[in-house]
Amino acid sequence: MNRLLTVLLIEDDAIEIMKLKRTISSLKLRHTIIETNNGVDAREILKGKHELPDIILLDLNMPKLNGIEFLTILKENQDLQHIPTIILTTSNNSKDMLECYKIGIAGYVLKPLKYEDYVAKIERVLAYWSCNELIRNK
Amino acid sequence: MSQNKIDILERALAREKAARKQAEKILEDKSAELYRLTRELSAANSQLEHSIQEKDSQLKGIFGNIIDAYVVMDLEGFVLKMNDAAIQMLDYDFREEKINLFKLVHPDEIQKTKEAFRELYVNGFLKNFQLKILPRTQSAKIVQINASIVYDKNNIAIAAQGIVRDITNDIRAQEKLIASENRLSTLVLNLDSGVLLVDENKNIVLTNTKLCELFSITKEPKDMVGLAIAGFAEAHKNIFENPQAFVERIQQLVAHKQMVLGDELKMEDGSILERDYIPIYENKKYKGHLWSYRDVTLQRKYSRSIEAEKQKYSNIIANMNLGLLEVDNQDRIMMSNQSFLKMSGYAEEDLIGRIAKEVFLSKEHFENIENENSNRLIGKSNSYELLVKTKSGEQRSWLISGAPNYNLKGEVIGSIGIHLDISDFRNLEKQKELLLAKLEKSNIELEEYAHIVSHDLKSPLRSINALVSWLKEDNQGKFDAVSLENISLIEITLEKMEQLISDVLTYSSINAESFETKYVDLNSIVEGLRHVLFFPEHIEMKIVNPLPVIKGDTIRLQQLFQNVIGNAIQYIEKDKGLIEVSVKETPSYYEFSIKDNGIGIEKHHYEKIFKIFQSLNPSKVSSGIGLSIVKKIVNQYQGEVWLVSELGVGSTFFFTIKK
Repeated sequence: MNRLLTVLLIEDDAIEIMKLKRTISSLKLRHTIIETNNGVDAREILKGKHELPDIILLDLNMPKLNGIEFLTILKENQDLQHIPTIILTTSNNSKDMLECYKIGIAGYVLKPLKYEDYVAKIERVLAYWSCNELIRNK
Repeated sequence: MSQNKIDILERALAREKAARKQAEKILEDKSAELYRLTRELSAANSQLEHSIQEKDSQLKGIFGNIIDAYVVMDLEGFVLKMNDAAIQMLDYDFREEKINLFKLVHPDEIQKTKEAFRELYVNGFLKNFQLKILPRTQSAKIVQINASIVYDKNNIAIAAQGIVRDITNDIRAQEKLIASENRLSTLVLNLDSGVLLVDENKNIVLTNTKLCELFSITKEPKDMVGLAIAGFAEAHKNIFENPQAFVERIQQLVAHKQMVLGDELKMEDGSILERDYIPIYENKKYKGHLWSYRDVTLQRKYSRSIEAEKQKYSNIIANMNLGLLEVDNQDRIMMSNQSFLKMSGYAEEDLIGRIAKEVFLSKEHFENIENENSNRLIGKSNSYELLVKTKSGEQRSWLISGAPNYNLKGEVIGSIGIHLDISDFRNLEKQKELLLAKLEKSNIELEEYAHIVSHDLKSPLRSINALVSWLKEDNQGKFDAVSLENISLIEITLEKMEQLISDVLTYSSINAESFETKYVDLNSIVEGLRHVLFFPEHIEMKIVNPLPVIKGDTIRLQQLFQNVIGNAIQYIEKDKGLIEVSVKETPSYYEFSIKDNGIGIEKHHYEKIFKIFQSLNPSKVSSGIGLSIVKKIVNQYQGEVWLVSELGVGSTFFFTIKK
């Protein structure tokens, strides 16, 4: 039973956003993607009256508020800290990775070089989360 | 009978007649003499009897008044008469009881008494006979007896009389005197000073063992008594360093007859004697003199070495580059050395008598020094740092090592501090700390930078890759074979580019600070590589002997083996590839070897391959950094890396890791 997910993608690179969107459409998935270019905007979205996303895909290297700073704020927020957050990044810096896991993440996915590999990874991540029970309308 | 015989007989008869006549004459003379003697003797006898009677009555007169005890006894020892003194001494009264004097004799002395009585009886008198007696109530007494036999008119012994004197105390005193004399002479004999007493006639009166020892005299001290002193100095002068001076000095001293104490004499064997000359006067009349010699070698050496030590330490204190300050219990400055004056900028007269803390410290530091000073009072030493101001007002950091100062009685009279100006050192330390902090920061920044750069460089690569894929996807069937081949080349180049960026990042982040050290089992590391690295079907990896557990950083060690083994995999072109990992242990390091049966490397490339960006064969995945990373990691573990190789046969890479 595949659930349709609302995914908040926080990513500053336009091509990366295109990649995710193209991946979802080429896989014929019907998940909702909310995209935002940086942490500051993402905070605004989460504060708004919108429905909260089911999962967050978070890039680490971003201007303004970077990924780890955003993650820290998110996890300190009573209303938002339950949202599974998956890091989607190029950085395999072990320090960053440890830091993220300590703060609390639901996954750490390295962006592969090859687009096909990327598609495969995203497919599996979304498939995994769509068969999970998730907190809604909290 | 012959005429001859008759003649002989007649001559003999004549001779006999003559002899008889002569004998008769002698007999006549003798009887005349006897008669005369008898007459004389009876006259003398009557005279003697008279005088005895006279003496007897005289004695009877003295008897009562005599002070000494007087006793008359019969020949069996029973008292016939005794005077009051005797009654008192013996504690018996003859008027009240019958006393036998022999019973009063101490049991030990009965034999001796018997002999004495026999002597008395035979000779008629006994002089100065000493005897121990036991009076009735008192303790034993030693008495001296002078006794004589009393005869009757017919010259028959009838009694004995005697004067008894109690000499117990005399004997005791004498014994004491002898004992103390003995002690004294033993003392003199064994005195640690050599003693030589000479009388006014220049004869030796007394000397002792020590003197004989000092002057190497073989005679016993007692055998020297009475010998003339003349020539003594001359005879023994050679044991002294300066024999002539020894003799002259003695002559001089004896001539002046003035007391001189503590003359120092150096001996030939290096020892030192101290000599006293003491002239002796009795009623202002010179009666001789006393020499005494003491061996003071040890004391001299001791005091000389103390002096030398003192000199040494004074020199150290004066010349040392440390400031020394002595204060009393009130923190008043008593003494300072040159270095302290230099450090503080003050002259000595500026400091002596002033309160140290008031001179050098600002008020807020008073408490520190007061605490330190109270440590001194309880005898504690320690080191501490103080911020002081010198005369010019400059603030300096002084390291002070303080210790209590004691007087001879062991009381704390203040403290002594050794001062070292560590301001420069402190400044350097501060600078060092700043630099270290800066370095650490820049190291972190550098690593961050490397990560960011690699991220920023990789992002466009991924984008290009995605875009190229989309081009292919969106134009399926529209590109010809050459274009498709070119697109594929773009993708390969992108992969190479990404590998290059990853390796540069790895290489740049290998530095000592980022190393962890924990125990790492290399077996599991190498075994783990079977999953990390891609092993084609035809390549087998064997661990020849068990690998050690070493202290190190897991990630780096994995990287090390991964790169060497990965390198081997890459260059095996044979049908069956074999990679053998083994280790050899030495006392100080492990030597690992990774042997392959790959294409081999030419000798002139051995060095080159460890340099960064040196890939020998253009390869689709090699960035040329892998072995440089190996070298860098090995160097971090103070090891070496090298290889042995034969073209077409294979290569063996060796590297060591220090234990």
